[in-house]
Amino acid sequence: MIDASRIITEAVVQSGADVFIGYPITPSNLFYSYSKERFPEFLAGPDEISVLQWMCGYSAAGKIPVTATAFPGLALMTETLNMAYMMELPMVLIITQRLGPSTGSATTGAQGDLKFLEGLISGGFSMPIFSPSNFNDAWTLSNEAVKTAVKFRTPVIILTSKELVMTQKSFDINTFETLEKVNRTPKPFEAPYKPYKAGEDMVPTFFPLGNNEYQTRFNASTHDNDGLIRKGTPESLANTFRLRDKLEKRIDEYSFFELDTEDGADDLIVTWGVSADASRDAVKLIRSKEEKVSLLIVKTILPISQNIFDIIDSYKTVTFAEENMNGMFKEMIFGKRNTSKVKTATKFGSMLTPSEIEKIAN
Amino acid sequence: MKTTEKILTNAKMPFCPGCGHGVCVRSISKALESLGYGSKDVAMVSDIGCSGLVDPLFATHTIHGLHGRAPALGLGVALGIDNPDKKVVVIQGDGGATIGLQHILEASRRNVDMTLVVINNLLYGMTGGQMSGLSTNEFKQYKHSDDVAEPYDIVNLAHQSGAAFSVRVNNISNFNDVLKEAISTQGFSLVELSSLCTSYGMKKISEMKDFIVAEETLKNNRPIGVSVKKDTTSLLENIKVLETQFTSNINDTIGVIIAGSAGGGIQSAAKILAQAGILSGLYATMKGEYPITVGTGFSIAEVILSRNPINFSGLEKPNVVLAVTEDGLKKVENRITFDSKVVVDRKICADCSFEVKDFLKVGGKKGAALSAVAYWVKESGVFPLEALYKVVEESKYAASLQKAIKSAEQLREVVYSYVPKNNKKELL
Repeated sequence: MIDASRIITEAVVQSGADVFIGYPITPSNLFYSYSKERFPEFLAGPDEISVLQWMCGYSAAGKIPVTATAFPGLALMTETLNMAYMMELPMVLIITQRLGPSTGSATTGAQGDLKFLEGLISGGFSMPIFSPSNFNDAWTLSNEAVKTAVKFRTPVIILTSKELVMTQKSFDINTFETLEKVNRTPKPFEAPYKPYKAGEDMVPTFFPLGNNEYQTRFNASTHDNDGLIRKGTPESLANTFRLRDKLEKRIDEYSFFELDTEDGADDLIVTWGVSADASRDAVKLIRSKEEKVSLLIVKTILPISQNIFDIIDSYKTVTFAEENMNGMFKEMIFGKRNTSKVKTATKFGSMLTPSEIEKIAN
Repeated sequence: MKTTEKILTNAKMPFCPGCGHGVCVRSISKALESLGYGSKDVAMVSDIGCSGLVDPLFATHTIHGLHGRAPALGLGVALGIDNPDKKVVVIQGDGGATIGLQHILEASRRNVDMTLVVINNLLYGMTGGQMSGLSTNEFKQYKHSDDVAEPYDIVNLAHQSGAAFSVRVNNISNFNDVLKEAISTQGFSLVELSSLCTSYGMKKISEMKDFIVAEETLKNNRPIGVSVKKDTTSLLENIKVLETQFTSNINDTIGVIIAGSAGGGIQSAAKILAQAGILSGLYATMKGEYPITVGTGFSIAEVILSRNPINFSGLEKPNVVLAVTEDGLKKVENRITFDSKVVVDRKICADCSFEVKDFLKVGGKKGAALSAVAYWVKESGVFPLEALYKVVEESKYAASLQKAIKSAEQLREVVYSYVPKNNKKELL
């Protein structure tokens, strides 16, 4: 028997993450204990602000740092996460969602942090957010998270939930494929080296602090290609726009979803994360009653790829299945307004079940 | 490490006329140069505020962070670079030192090899001259501040927290020598430098003497704080592989809830049940539920045993509920359906309508849950009891776990039924 905390921890280490910096919080407890055992380097921070600042320091020095937390910790990390995003520092944050508001119920699962994450970067920028739906995703998406963080020089979030990462299941680990190990070797660049000058791929070449070849600068404020503060110059603003463009224009390189289509189905269930398994069972239930339904499990939940919109547009009715008040992913697609096309199967305070999804969707 | 490289660029000082920060920057640069550091040997970490304007002045590596957080960022840089030939120097103001005090204490406690320069001009210069946690009472009086609390003694706080070297210098002619000593220190060094704010403080440096704290130099003889690196092995290597060796009569899915209290071995009994199911050719999940408190309150575990792969690991309707404490039963009783088989310990309700057994009596507090599991396995015949014994045989607690399983065989074959009308206990 195994749990997804163990799978994700092992996967990020095998993918090249080399330091875990953490502050204990329920329900990310297992990540902390597994990381202490598995990471080549482990640091216990005195608070979540320090944790993320240390991670930024390690990342700027060329390491791939990882942490795991829950909403209260994430809230404290928010300012520094903006800094990491602006400095373009690769790192992975595992967020285990639990019931809010505030300290809520730490040992109850939820999917209530998505909209906070959607707006977390001031100004309307997206950070890549991967949401595993089962153990296989926990393995492969964790690898994609590390790869994406380094490739795009960005913090990446693995968004999980208590039941997803603490429930133990029988599982054949031999089905896991070997993961590609990521390293941070600097890629070629057009001389002279400027720390924030990007080529066509929109991602500047990284050299770590302390390297002997090129002077490098990192900056949390609006900066030019040299990494120096510049207020409102075309170059510095272009640098800021690039933060959006590198992720949104290349979304297809890291957009993952699972689509189970049924010929002739007019109805689609859209789900993510911990509600995916319940939705898989709900689809089985519906189909066992000779009804037709398709299922879309979104795994790269932010930024939203055009593919997701296109799939949703091609169905007459769409049911969003998620563990929060009003359907956060639904609101990200359709806003707060409800139409005859859109239904929400939501649950707050306990797991959304297959029969509850079936009841709404069918 | 000797070099003639310049630490400063040719950029013009960005500070107000008469500002003391320029002297501090030049002193830091001189100290680094005289110690032989080249530009790429140094990572300069800057904070927010007037002291955060320094990046373009340095030809070194630079990283410009958030208000008050530069010491924490610098700590990450220092441990991340992990090279004694490189130097991390952090610059922040008294405002930054106030908001980020914790980071200074932590860097001191760990004695990480880095130098923090706190440029103290007694106020927040960039936002209009407000008072900081390092503003002295004399200065606050002068500025008509209502705050009469003593300022932080940042030098002493760093010392008390374990910094190798912490010092306050007011006389600019000593800046260079003190900075050299700080930068040469093995471990964490903090240098508080007095600086003049001509916009919101005083116009002349000679006016400062009435407002500043006396110089002090404090040292701790401690080893440098390092981050240990170790070789590790895969977390998947030591997973117990459970090969099928028994058979089960479960053809579909059975959901079992084990309900009890913290410390009663609930989660472990559930895991043993799930693993025994796997040994019997079934798929299994095990989900725990408990309050945030670790040692008290209810403890619930849900086990699903299925002939087919399991997606949803929640339990919509339990087929079986095994309750060994009242806390546990209360937590799950609203989930019990007409079809659920419920077995409870006699201490919960000797005369309720559920099947009642003496799990606690025969299994003890820690063994009652496993006793209940064993009882249900034996009674239902879902798979042989040997599967449970097989799971526990290599456990370091094998003897007590085997005893708990065995105890199920000692349960008296008595079932009480509650008859509401005359409140009479009837032996069936």
